[in-house]
Amino acid sequence: MRETRLWSWHLLVIPIIIVLLGAHFAVMHYAPVFYGVSVEEARNFETMIERGKSVAQLVLYVLLLAAALYHGLYGLRGIIRELPMSPALGKIVDTSIIGLGLFIFAFGTYVTWWTFSFKIGG
Amino acid sequence: MNSNKPTAYNNRLGIKGWVYAGKYTFERYLYLGHRLTGMGLIAYMLLHIIETANRMRGVEAWEGLMGLFASWPFKIIEYLLFAAAVFHALNGVRLLMTELGFFLGKPKEPVYPYSSSIKRHRPLTYIIMALAGLIIILGGSSLFFP
Ligand code: HEM
Ligand code: HEM
Repeated sequence: MRETRLWSWHLLVIPIIIVLLGAHFAVMHYAPVFYGVSVEEARNFETMIERGKSVAQLVLYVLLLAAALYHGLYGLRGIIRELPMSPALGKIVDTSIIGLGLFIFAFGTYVTWWTFSFKIGG
Repeated sequence: MNSNKPTAYNNRLGIKGWVYAGKYTFERYLYLGHRLTGMGLIAYMLLHIIETANRMRGVEAWEGLMGLFASWPFKIIEYLLFAAAVFHALNGVRLLMTELGFFLGKPKEPVYPYSSSIKRHRPLTYIIMALAGLIIILGGSSLFFP
């Protein structure tokens, strides 16, 4: 049951990734097409801070962070666990991947929060 | 199954079995592509979170990094990443449709010559891959011809 649930989440977060990563590419990669600004402009410090100061961006970045990390790391775990290995080593792989995921999630959330609470000019 | 002879079934072929273990179909190579792009994307993402944290070191650090990313080698890497994401996403949608049983037709008697669900999906597979190819080509335009 537990494994089925974990796998279901791997698939259930996909719609979130499609929408948010699609939007992320539109902003970062397709800026000239969708926003009429150069890629450089879309990525400069001020624009980045301005973007990050909206509540919507804060929520969406954390959501993308969580969804893509879960999907990607669950996939990676599957790839590694498929190879022949002892149950003990399997446990170590699982624990390391969970640890890595939680660390990166906490760090990314902190960075997004830092941007959100950045004081312009101060 | 318990023999120690390496086969694709007991996965003793390990990573080698991803590429070849007898005659592989088109979908089997898509699986390889899906796996490689998935690993590339997660590797990129982990680095990306650390790299974009550079903003906390101030304007100069950030602009320096973005300047680096505006150089040609990084533009090409970015394009490859974009292509990998598009392929993985569209092939992933195909996998979802297969796994959730969409467009497979009604169940019918298994009469020779058998038609597998993979075969019944194949026209759709070609359409999805053509679409991925198109998006990948169009995606290059804004990067290489600003
Ligand atoms: C953009 C939308 C995406 C879609 C539609 C998608 C779809 C899928 C699907 C359906 C699978 C499971 C295949 C199966 O169980 O048979 C999968 C596996 C995987 N995905 Fe994604 N994915 C997307 C984005 C991502 C991203 C952003 C990452 C990395 C952060 C990622 C990393 C992986 C990995 C590592 C696997 C495991 C591959 C394997 O086992 O061979 N995917 N993806
Ligand atoms: C064309 C490639 C990409 C570029 C140029 C790019 C650029 C950026 C930039 C400049 C930021 C900083 C925030 C901002 O400016 O608003 C950012 C943040 C972020 N990106 Fe990307 N990105 C790309 C691809 C991806 C991919 C493939 C993923 C997911 C698999 C991703 C996930 C994220 C996340 C989660 C954040 C928030 C970081 C945090 O919370 O610390 N990006 N990206």
